[in-house]
Amino acid sequence: MSELQSSLLLKKQLAELNKNPVEGFSAGLIDENDIFRWEVLIIGPPDTLYEGGFFKAHLYFPKEYPLRPPRMKFVTEIWHPNIEKNGDVCISILHEPGDDKWGYEKASERWLPVHTVETILISVISMLADPNDESPANVDAAKEWRESYPDFKRKVARCVRKSQEECS
Amino acid sequence: MLKVIFTKRDVLLGAAGQLSRKCCRMGNCLKMSTSDDISLLRGSESMSVSGQDVNSEMFASDPGGGPIFQHESIQQVFYPTPSVSRPASTEDEQVNIKKAKRMGLIQHLPVGTYDGSAKKTQERECDICMVEFCVDEAVRYLPCMHIYHLHCIDDWLMRSLTCPRCLEPVDAALLTSYETT
Repeated sequence: MSELQSSLLLKKQLAELNKNPVEGFSAGLIDENDIFRWEVLIIGPPDTLYEGGFFKAHLYFPKEYPLRPPRMKFVTEIWHPNIEKNGDVCISILHEPGDDKWGYEKASERWLPVHTVETILISVISMLADPNDESPANVDAAKEWRESYPDFKRKVARCVRKSQEECS
Repeated sequence: MLKVIFTKRDVLLGAAGQLSRKCCRMGNCLKMSTSDDISLLRGSESMSVSGQDVNSEMFASDPGGGPIFQHESIQQVFYPTPSVSRPASTEDEQVNIKKAKRMGLIQHLPVGTYDGSAKKTQERECDICMVEFCVDEAVRYLPCMHIYHLHCIDDWLMRSLTCPRCLEPVDAALLTSYETT
């Protein structure tokens, strides 16, 4: 997969998302001259603690996309068991392909070249609605989510408020 | 790490949950094969397949006591078994052998040319680059009968021996065909 093919595939996805926007997020580029770096705005999913929030995130695609996954990082502060405190998203479909060393994730749960910006974001939105605390990226958030849910809720609510202020 | 799997197709069919459950079962099947020959081919980085090997390798590479998690790219010494270690240069050689073996395996998958007869839109384009096949273009057939551009799928199979579309393990199917012939 050449860099040209990768950029063509990403351009195609951008055009398609502009033409037929998908509910739950909007997508664009950080710099309009760089197709490999995207900026997305995720709308906090309804009926979740994140409802009402507007969370900005960046996607960094490698030149080998779609053979290798992009990295995703929330720019807006967000409190979630599967998102590191610095915003890095930890989700198995964004992990390098192949079976992993520790046998923890199966090949089928890791990156596949059929993933697009749309399918990645749908997975991330579903992660917001349904955290997985088996191997959390933010251990404190996971502990709170499990053991002191009211505190967890309060922290998420603060992020939601902050995200609204940043957007207005 | 959250395990959620959605592919383009799931979104189209709205059947993501169903597929992801199916995938998990397929993954388990993949792990059950323990043939030595295939173990070299399995996984893009790891040389060992069984959970036990992986654990012992992990502990052996630790000078301090508890397990440390080394990044694959900075690993300098290769431990085929806990008691044997080799310098990284030998590992490079091993990696090259593994690559060559995998290339050989991929070459066993049939190649054809696209005849333009696909009726469904899904089958008219390569799922990896999302570009429509041209008539007479070289395509590779996987054991699950899904087709992709030759260069697109070969690059992918070097990284993971699974069909990107249905997640069927390619090596298991090839191994079966070796056994029966």
